[in-house]
Amino acid sequence: MTSPLDLSTLNTRGRWPPPDGPRVAIVGSRRPSPYGEAVAEQLAADLARAGVIVVSGLALGCDAAAHRGALVGGGVTVAVMGTGVDIVYPAAHFRLAEEIVAAGGALVSQFPDGTSPRRRNFPARNVTLAALSDVVVVVEAVQGSGALITAEAALDLHKEVMAVPGSIFSPLSVGTHALIRDGAGLVQNARDVLAALGVGREVLDDPLGAPKRLGFALPAERDGILLHLSDVLAVSTAELARKLHLPVAEVLGRLTSLELDGAVRRHGAGYVRALRTGKD
Amino acid sequence: MLATVDSCVLAGLEARRVEVQADSANGETKFFLVGLAATSVKEARERVRSAIKNSGLDFPRKRLTVNLAPAEMRKEGSGLDLPIAIAIALAEVGKRAPARSAFLGELALDGAVRHVDGVLVAARCLKRLGFDRFFVPAADASEAALIEGLEVIPCEHLAGVFAHLLGQTLIAPQFFTDVAPDATAGILDTDLAEVHGQEEARRAIEVAAAGGHHLLLSGAPGSGKTMLARCLPGILPPLELPEAFEVAQVRSLLGDLLPGRPLDWTRPFRAPHHGVSMAGLIGGGSGFAMPGEISRANHGVLFLDELAEFQAPVLQALRQPLETGRVTITRSGGSVTYPARFTLVAATNPCPCGWLGDPVRTCRCTQAVVDGYQRRLSGPLLDRIDLQVGVRRVPLVELAAEPRGEPSLAVRDRVLAARARQQARQGCLNAQLKPSRLRHLAAMEPGSKRTLERWSEQKGLTARGFHRAWRVARTAADLEGTELIADRHVLEALGYRLHDVAA
Repeated sequence: MTSPLDLSTLNTRGRWPPPDGPRVAIVGSRRPSPYGEAVAEQLAADLARAGVIVVSGLALGCDAAAHRGALVGGGVTVAVMGTGVDIVYPAAHFRLAEEIVAAGGALVSQFPDGTSPRRRNFPARNVTLAALSDVVVVVEAVQGSGALITAEAALDLHKEVMAVPGSIFSPLSVGTHALIRDGAGLVQNARDVLAALGVGREVLDDPLGAPKRLGFALPAERDGILLHLSDVLAVSTAELARKLHLPVAEVLGRLTSLELDGAVRRHGAGYVRALRTGKD
Repeated sequence: MLATVDSCVLAGLEARRVEVQADSANGETKFFLVGLAATSVKEARERVRSAIKNSGLDFPRKRLTVNLAPAEMRKEGSGLDLPIAIAIALAEVGKRAPARSAFLGELALDGAVRHVDGVLVAARCLKRLGFDRFFVPAADASEAALIEGLEVIPCEHLAGVFAHLLGQTLIAPQFFTDVAPDATAGILDTDLAEVHGQEEARRAIEVAAAGGHHLLLSGAPGSGKTMLARCLPGILPPLELPEAFEVAQVRSLLGDLLPGRPLDWTRPFRAPHHGVSMAGLIGGGSGFAMPGEISRANHGVLFLDELAEFQAPVLQALRQPLETGRVTITRSGGSVTYPARFTLVAATNPCPCGWLGDPVRTCRCTQAVVDGYQRRLSGPLLDRIDLQVGVRRVPLVELAAEPRGEPSLAVRDRVLAARARQQARQGCLNAQLKPSRLRHLAAMEPGSKRTLERWSEQKGLTARGFHRAWRVARTAADLEGTELIADRHVLEALGYRLHDVAA
């Protein structure tokens, strides 16, 4: 696709080059399901604890979750930007960018300072992202997603591509499942990624002691509402009411109560189970 | 000779008395019309001259002066044709007009009396001004006859009216229009039984009908938002007499009444297109402002489809009427106030392409576009919409398998019972309760109050949003027939606050 980039010409902010260590790109949809967001965050946190430098694109959704996860895990993370390093896009990630720099990470860009967001710049950024990483993990991606461009660039550069499986009902899984079918490594937890990196056994041991943390915790059971909810696809109140044989007003009330407790979230025209991640 | 005839001109929902004085004196044959007449009134000269001639009456071959008093008030409309003609004809024969009688009507050149707008409004005001008899176009007689104690004389032709005044051939007065409610009122062609699935939106519509709350339906194209909105009038009670009267007066001004059936007991349903102008939606025009869509929807439903596509200033202008139930508009002629107490049902797509959050199709909008689209819905307007629900698109193949719901009549029974509770307790609907009255009239169990406070803290609710949720909880309790608001009512009410979460 592209010849290897001259990485010495990158504009940077923060600590560059980053400390030695394996680099893993975690990329995915800008509009992930709660599942995808949780996976990106948890995976990044666990990898960061194992000393991996998490690389991502500072975009909404999976990218931001990956950066946040890396910060939660106390690690170093690198944001490869499609704008100049002095322009944070989206602007809502201004604080996240500052935290990345403050935590010893870096913002890098192949574009000169003052470059504002341009549609055509992002595919080129995705290639750089792949070039800067040893392994690329795709979390959730619809067909034609930018994350798949990163994956393709990684293959061209003879880097390992891995993907996280999702629900076969979700359009967000189409891209990742296609990658797995084509031979991408399957990621169930940080261990899988570390194995692909061939990182020493000592790293594998301690910090990943609890892979079960990547998942949801069922609070005290309430009429099985949570059992009927998914963490990928939104279920409408009406559907739940029908399954539970309860009046829709009552189901709506109980969902609100679960929302107050942080056990469910609204998503589209329905509700999804809220996943517990490395944050708590 | 001099003759004086009474009439009126309209200023919004008020009529102002106008004295039409005709005087013929010796001199050059001329016809003067004075007294601040607008163009439409000045043209009366030509119509009146022909109408008198073609009615077999004599037009004075003298110096004729018609004065419209009071002279400082601007007069508009063709309704003064008839009183001017009568005044001239009476002056010619040296007769006086009958006492406490007023005339209104447009004349055709052959002397036929034609329809004018606003006869009902005129009749109401004339009765209050102490008039006993009102000569109106025959086409508008049933409308004027809604006013009790006013003798309404239907006028077909100028010659007939004049013969009546001379005592030659009397015109039979119009009977008082029967105002008995129509039992079939409110039965519309859209019934909730035809809606498959959508239980949450159905419930929201029921709550909206019961408490008079405004409603936002948010969902993908083809999810049935329009159909759901059209079901709302059918589960509302028929109009009460004073309400039907107010509806009829606005329609009278706009010339929208059905001839022979001036009172309509069905709740209005107005669905203006999103290209509607400020004047079209709120009211406007030159001279005195005419009522807009929000006043046509008075006591009924205003449906705004594609809410985000409306011009922002037009939506902003909705805020005052949403709070007060009235709208005051000032134009060159003066300011008028129209009633505008409607239930707002707004529908919107979640994003410009419409597929955000859809389980099957993928949204193609960028985040910035989605943000911009949702910002256009303006926080302050959304803050005034108590019930916000997401409507899920049901794929066509599954549609037939979705359960059918209750028919509108069954839902309406519950709505009527809940409304009766509210009227008995506070004399108004829950949506109109002032915050200060909520504490006494909408007492909450201690636990449920804490729930509401927890939510406000988590979502950063405004004081207005807090009270809105409280009112909806009141309605949920009323639908159940419970006086004290329980936790389940508050939780249900909070479930309808879609945009606390999106914000």
